[in-house]
Amino acid sequence: MLTWEYPPRIVGGIARHCEGLAKALTKLDVEIHLITLDFPGTPLYEENEGVKIYRAKIEIGHPNFLTWVMIFNHFLEKKLAEVVKQASFDLIHLHDWLVAPAGIAAKHFLNLPLVATLHSTEHGRSGLHIPDSFTIDSWEWWTTYEASKIIVTSNSMKHEVCGHFHVPWEKVEIIPNGINLAKFQVSVDRNSVRARYGISPDEKLILYVGRLVPQKGVEYLIQAVPMVSSRYHNAKFVIVGEGWLRDYLQSLAHSTGHGWRIIFTGFIPDNEMIALMKSADVLVVPSIYEPFGIVALEGMAAGVPVVASQVGGLSEVIEHDKTGVFVYPRNPESVAWGIDHVLSNPGHAEWLVRNAFEKVKNVFSWEAIASRTIEVYKQVLGG
Amino acid sequence: MNSSSLTPTDSSLPEEFRFLCMLHNIGATTPERSLTIDEISRWVSMDTSVIRIHLQRLIEMGYVELTRIGEEDKYHLTHSGIRKVLTLYS
Repeated sequence: MLTWEYPPRIVGGIARHCEGLAKALTKLDVEIHLITLDFPGTPLYEENEGVKIYRAKIEIGHPNFLTWVMIFNHFLEKKLAEVVKQASFDLIHLHDWLVAPAGIAAKHFLNLPLVATLHSTEHGRSGLHIPDSFTIDSWEWWTTYEASKIIVTSNSMKHEVCGHFHVPWEKVEIIPNGINLAKFQVSVDRNSVRARYGISPDEKLILYVGRLVPQKGVEYLIQAVPMVSSRYHNAKFVIVGEGWLRDYLQSLAHSTGHGWRIIFTGFIPDNEMIALMKSADVLVVPSIYEPFGIVALEGMAAGVPVVASQVGGLSEVIEHDKTGVFVYPRNPESVAWGIDHVLSNPGHAEWLVRNAFEKVKNVFSWEAIASRTIEVYKQVLGG
Repeated sequence: MNSSSLTPTDSSLPEEFRFLCMLHNIGATTPERSLTIDEISRWVSMDTSVIRIHLQRLIEMGYVELTRIGEEDKYHLTHSGIRKVLTLYS
């Protein structure tokens, strides 16, 4: 398995996806050798819950982004060349275009079938406005061409991949993201968690968790703050995550006149993120592009009511007013309505939480997802 | 601002953040691989006075750390700086 991020190198959902999938596959007797990039303070080789993790050191760099990607792919290939001397493989499974050059090269020099999971597309993330985006788009197309099977995490991504890259419908399999429910079955002291962020037990805690990048739509949540606060004078907003848009969002928060209610935490570890989710009154997922939306699933597992934009994979994870509340994307008024819908109906919110938890338990366990992935592997291997 | 059109290489990215990305991509991610201002200047083809301003701001934000090695001041990204850069790419 090839991925550019794996814990503790956590950027977006790919690291968590690869960790959950690799560990679950290992439990089902699939031997996983995972090759990824290094992160300061982590060993270059370790075995974790049966997953053999190899980290490639990037020995040289380049200021240009795409050149840097090509260089680190060389070092992934070099690491792979070392690993194949010690073990033999049946197939290569790569995650996203960032490791496609190494994965595709490995397919050819090892003469092995290739499976590729596309977690999102450049077309969806940023649009195609500049030359580098066209290059990334071409890499993604090339990945779909070279792979025997493409895995996507939602029906909306299948439509996007088949439509944009002209991939045959039957070549693309939908396997959703999964979740490790056990991680969320911890008890937390709600009041002390809130106190760490200066929030008292009687205040309303409205939470966002995710990268601070345009496609996450955090600005629409911030624009909703004055509307929510006019009805809930005790509302506080916690924005968890890091990203290059952070300065802009902090200025925006300040400009609403309610900056004091909006707390930016930066990156926090998983256990703290879970504690915050379990202490919040609402989790808002205001994305404008979301191939899957694992944060919504995490909120559902943590037992917090989820208010989410009805876009992409979120449309398939949440059922409106049954397992969460949908709002319109890019629409602060709608976001404010969704938050109020939850806060003003505590009994209904509890019902949503119960339904959401049942759905997560029944549909999105890693065991189920690993089994479906093994079926794809079997198809590719002709078994 | 139409922020949805911004991408890692888009010229509308904040200048110091573009610089942080370059510092990351040339490998200054650990104390052992930290670089002097002159070395950074050669890599990224920027004037040392501009680099000095960016580094000062990035240190204040906690994304870059200064290490004094012998007589030289060297700079590298902190964990927080690395994560900041990586948020662009996935």
